[in-house]
Amino acid sequence: MISQRVNYFLNYFKIAVLNIKSNISGNIFAFLIMSFSFFIMLFFLLCYINIYNYMNIFQKSNVMIVFLKNKNNSDKKNVLNFIEGLNGVKKALYYNDKSSMKFLEKKVKHLKSILKDANPDNFPAFIKINFKKNAVSSIFLSNIYLRVKSMKGVKLVYYNKMLQDKIVQFMFFTKVIGLILFIFLFILSIFISYSAIKLVILRKQNEIEILKLIGATNNYVRIPMFIEGEIGTILSFSVSIFLLFAIYKIFIFYRFDSFLKFFHIKIIFLNPVQIALVFLIAVVSGIAGTYMSSKKFF
Amino acid sequence: MIEFSHVYKNYDKNYILRDLNFTVDKGEFIFITGPSGAGKTTTLKMLTALEKPTHGAVRFLGTELQDLKPREIPFLRRKIGFVFQDFKLLPNRTVFQNVALGLEVSGIFGNIITKNVSEILKAVELYTKKDEFPLSLSGGEQQRTAIARALVQNPQVLLADEPTGNLDEETSGIIIDIIKSFNNKGTTVMLATHDKHLIANMGRARVIDITKS
Repeated sequence: MISQRVNYFLNYFKIAVLNIKSNISGNIFAFLIMSFSFFIMLFFLLCYINIYNYMNIFQKSNVMIVFLKNKNNSDKKNVLNFIEGLNGVKKALYYNDKSSMKFLEKKVKHLKSILKDANPDNFPAFIKINFKKNAVSSIFLSNIYLRVKSMKGVKLVYYNKMLQDKIVQFMFFTKVIGLILFIFLFILSIFISYSAIKLVILRKQNEIEILKLIGATNNYVRIPMFIEGEIGTILSFSVSIFLLFAIYKIFIFYRFDSFLKFFHIKIIFLNPVQIALVFLIAVVSGIAGTYMSSKKFF
Repeated sequence: MIEFSHVYKNYDKNYILRDLNFTVDKGEFIFITGPSGAGKTTTLKMLTALEKPTHGAVRFLGTELQDLKPREIPFLRRKIGFVFQDFKLLPNRTVFQNVALGLEVSGIFGNIITKNVSEILKAVELYTKKDEFPLSLSGGEQQRTAIARALVQNPQVLLADEPTGNLDEETSGIIIDIIKSFNNKGTTVMLATHDKHLIANMGRARVIDITKS
């Protein structure tokens, strides 16, 4: 039984290869368009993954600054105790007027000459809160912001709320665009498989008729077409992933990414799971395209 | 074995067959005759479920063919060999591969194919041309390839639709001799033709004129 199935498969595979050979120009054309489509899909995924990773790192290393109204010790203690008691707070550091000035000098080095004549008494006391990476979310920060802001002795709470919102918006935007592009390219690759197999069927209508006359089942005619579609899809996918990897390696080898280091961006390549996901999409598009084109004729 | 019972076939208002009735027993050699357009090809096509009667019943081995489900049709066709006037060979396959197709579609592979195809090609005297492509063969050789393909599955019935229509008299004689030899081994043959000389030279055979039956 198993050897019979193997024989059937080998025979289907042989027919598929014959079909490819007999329509070599049409298959090369379909192969090129599919390779291009998968390349765009993979390239976009690569860009998206890198942007997403970067934004995620940025989003998760959030800091909040709490400016105090005066240098009253009891207010400072109250606020500091409250903050330290919050879940998700990694570290809360108090800066008095002097250390506040030093903090500014350290962070904004080119202002050193101006700051050397400044009076430390004019600098505000503040608490710098560092949050745990896994605890930070937009809602979490908003919640902390509102609670701390309402406390006695707190003058101003600052965190990069606007940037936070922009990051969330941008990530949502990239997700939506990514999804639309993915759907478009998925439909495109189905259409390409569909057209390639439809051409094969139209060209081979006479042959299909003969096969059916001598007792071939629909599967006998259809399975080689599925194999043909899948061979084209897998080859196209392999070429596009190889091309993308080669471009990535060239990009890294010639240090084209050095300017990105300024933004602490490290370009990473797709991981096996992401590659497998696009491969699955490619395989499904090949099957769907072949199924749709052959269904029309059988 | 085969029974046509009150079979009518019409396309719109144009009746091709009117009340066709006949039976065929195992091992018989039948000529289906009638002028062009009389419905000879349609009659043969009904036996392979390519056409359905408008009224009446066509039975093969007791099964009413119009009741067959689409997925059962391929299995019916494996029991019936069909030879066409225009040969219907696959041009991109060799003689051997064309004949082997008849077995491959039935799920037979490997050494059995080599053995059976070689035997049938020897029987139709084409073994030496097994690696040639159909277009390099003469009309008679192509028709012998088609006969070999039809018979390699060891069918119970061989249907031949004007198998000598495109061939000269001498080649036609060879083709008929081959078909006759398989009939002598027990294969039932139904041959559609309007060639009266062919029928006259045949001798032991039943003639069904579908315009009169």
